[in-house]
Amino acid sequence: MKNLLYIFFLLPVLFSCQSEKSVTVYPNQVGDIVFDKNIDHPDFKRCMDKDYGIQYYSINNSNGLQYKGEKFAIIQELEKLNLSSPKKTTGYITIRFVVNCEGKTGLFRIQQMNENYLEEKPDKDFSAKLLNFTKSLNGWIPIEIRGKKLDYYQYLTYKITDGKVSEILP
Amino acid sequence: MERFQKYYLSLIFLAVYSQISAQVNCSIFTEENCRKACEISNQAGEYQGLSLSQLAFDKAIEICPTYDDAYFEKSVPYLKNGDFVTWKILIDKAVELNPKEHLGYRAWCRYQFLRDYKGAIQDFDELEKYYPGNLGYSKNGDYNLYVVKAICYSALNQKEKAIQILDHLFKSKDYHFGPYDHYQLGVTYFESNQYDKALENFEKQSKVYDFAENIFFKSKVSKIRNKDYLDLKSLALQSYDEGKTMKDGYTHHFNKVYRKQIAEL
Repeated sequence: MKNLLYIFFLLPVLFSCQSEKSVTVYPNQVGDIVFDKNIDHPDFKRCMDKDYGIQYYSINNSNGLQYKGEKFAIIQELEKLNLSSPKKTTGYITIRFVVNCEGKTGLFRIQQMNENYLEEKPDKDFSAKLLNFTKSLNGWIPIEIRGKKLDYYQYLTYKITDGKVSEILP
Repeated sequence: MERFQKYYLSLIFLAVYSQISAQVNCSIFTEENCRKACEISNQAGEYQGLSLSQLAFDKAIEICPTYDDAYFEKSVPYLKNGDFVTWKILIDKAVELNPKEHLGYRAWCRYQFLRDYKGAIQDFDELEKYYPGNLGYSKNGDYNLYVVKAICYSALNQKEKAIQILDHLFKSKDYHFGPYDHYQLGVTYFESNQYDKALENFEKQSKVYDFAENIFFKSKVSKIRNKDYLDLKSLALQSYDEGKTMKDGYTHHFNKVYRKQIAEL
C-alpha cells in the first residue's frame, strides 16, 4: 500500500510538463460503468459505493463466471430461444454489466465488433434480443469476500457466426 | 463511509495487485528516454487498469514511441474487461513493434478470450517464422502453443491436422507435458471415432492429472462399447464435486465438460 501511495504522488509529476497536449481521460479503473439515467434502470442498486466493483476474474475460483448451473445453464437457456439474425452477421457482441451483492444485474453496456475486431454499428434487432436475453439471466451468484458482500463486473461475449451464436464467452 | 471506501479500495487494489505483470530489465535500453519509458511502464504495470497506470503508459509511449511493452501492458486491462476493440488496437501496435515478443500472446488471447481460431492460427504461423519448431507456452502456462494450434484446428473440424500436430509434438525429444495435453488429444481422437486411441490418451492423462472431464470421457467410451460405465460416471461426478476439473480464472477451457453434462450421461 505504501508503494501505491508513492505512485499516486509521483505520477502526476510526470504529467506536469505537459502544458497544451491533450491527455486522455480514463475512468478510475478500465471498464468502470457509471450510472446513466437515460439507459439504466433506476431501481438497480449497487451495494458498494459509487462505481466500485471488483472484476469477475478477481473472484477466487471464478472459472470465468459464477452462475447457478455454470455456463452450461446459460448455453441451454439461449438454445431454447433459437435466436438468429436475418442479416447473417458474423463477429462478436459483448455485453458488460454489474452483478450486485444480491445477484441482480444492471448497468448493461454493449459492444459489437466484426470478425476483424473493428467496432461496427449494432445489428439492432439481434443485439436487442441478446441484451434482453442477458438481462433475463437470473442465476448470477453473489460474491462475498472476507464476509463483505461485493458488486462485480461481468461480461458475456456472444460469438456470432452467420447470424447465429456459435459460442458464449468467457 | 470513509472506512467503507478505504476497505473496498484496498480490495480492488489487492485484486489488481494479484494481476501484476512481469518486470522488464530496463538496463538493456541504451537510449535514455526508452529506459525511462521502461521504468515508468514497469511501475505502472503493478497497478494494472487504474487510470494513473493507463496515463503512465501514455507517457511512456510519448517519450519512447517504439517501446512495445507499454502498448502491451496498456492493452491487458481492456482484454480482461471485455473491450476487445481497444485491446486489439493496442496489442496490434505491440506486435507491429516487436512481433517476436507479442505474437504468441496475441494468438493465445485470440483463442482464449474470443475463440478466434482462424486468427490465432494466422498468428501462430507468423510466429513460426521467428521461432521454427518452438512457439513457446500460453500466458497461463497450461499449454504449449502447438497444443493450442492443434485445438484451433480441432475446433475448425480439421481433426486429422490437430492429431498430426499433437502426435508430432508429444513425440518430440524432452517434451514437457502440460496438465491437459493427453486429454485434448484424447478428445480429438474420440471425436474422430478412434476410441482405442482416445482411451489410450485418457489413461495417460489419468497418470498426470485425473480430472472429472477426463473420467467423463473414459465413461463415454465405456458406454459406447456397451460396457459398465456407471462407476466411472460416479467417479467423474465425485471428482467434479471435489473441484478436480479444468480450471481457468478468465475463461473456460476448450473441451470443458459441465457437471450437468456428466450427470446426464
